[in-house]
Amino acid sequence: MSPMPQARGAKIAPPSNLYTVILAVAVGVVLATAAYVTFACYSRYATIFGLP
Amino acid sequence: MSTLTKVLIVLLTVFSIFLCGIVVTYVASANNYKKDADDARRSNQISKSREADALQQLEDKKKQAEDEKAKLNEQILALDTQTKNLQGELDMVKREKDQLVQKVASMAAAVETTTAAARQQTTLFETAQQEVQNLRAEQTNRKKELDETNQILLEKLALIAQLETRVRQLTEQYQEAESRLNQYLQQYGRVAMRPATTVAPAGTTVQPMALAPTGQTRMISLNGQVTAVDMGSKLAEISIGAAAGVRPQMKFHVIRGEIVVADVLIFETSPDKAVGSVVLIQQGMEPRAGDRVATNL
Repeated sequence: MSPMPQARGAKIAPPSNLYTVILAVAVGVVLATAAYVTFACYSRYATIFGLP
Repeated sequence: MSTLTKVLIVLLTVFSIFLCGIVVTYVASANNYKKDADDARRSNQISKSREADALQQLEDKKKQAEDEKAKLNEQILALDTQTKNLQGELDMVKREKDQLVQKVASMAAAVETTTAAARQQTTLFETAQQEVQNLRAEQTNRKKELDETNQILLEKLALIAQLETRVRQLTEQYQEAESRLNQYLQQYGRVAMRPATTVAPAGTTVQPMALAPTGQTRMISLNGQVTAVDMGSKLAEISIGAAAGVRPQMKFHVIRGEIVVADVLIFETSPDKAVGSVVLIQQGMEPRAGDRVATNL
């Protein structure tokens, strides 16, 4: 996860996936919101973009 | 991973979740404007159609109102004419009513006069009836007297017959004595004188006359004059009465010149005059004193 190379001789720490999970949750929430908005727009106006 | 990156990740996540919640809340609570627009359009069309119907109905109602107005005007004219006719008829009926009221008043006066005359005639009739009863009683007495007289007459006739028989016997004895006297006197040349006899011949008897009731009386023309007239009670008095043969229920004709004016029906008689009710024949002519009356024309 860390893009920065570990300095040799330094203590190697195991990578933490906590922030990856947080990012995944955020992405999932955004995607779910987009899907809901898309469904709501299509179901109400029969189109996603533009004016009915 | 630096601390700043971690902080940014956390903030990004938090803001993303917050923003997504706001978006979802807004979208969920937003109105369906398409549906609203469709409803509004539909309601607009319905309103337009209703407006058109209302205008059409308004035109129809206007036409009906005009037609009804024309009909009502015609009815008003007809009713005005009928009202004028009824007003004329009402005036006519009022005039007829006034005339009938006058007729009723005159008829009431005539009825009162007739009632008074009827009352007077009733009184006269009662008086005449009383006189008739008296005359009948007198007639009965006379009849009894006549029967007694007839009985006495029969007795007298029987006595006369006996006396005649006795007279006849005496006459026969006298004739025998005369015969003997003549026979005796013939010796001396003399004859006895024959007296006149009043004895009726034998076989002749006197019979009482039977009093048979008189049969039909012959209608005799009676003539007289009107002596008094009371047209209020329609009574007239004539100059001849029971002595001339006038009887109740006889009808006399009142004659003036060559015209028969009226009839008089006799209901009361006295020896020298008679009274009767007047029955008019000629309109406008009334009997008066001096007119001639007769039973036959």
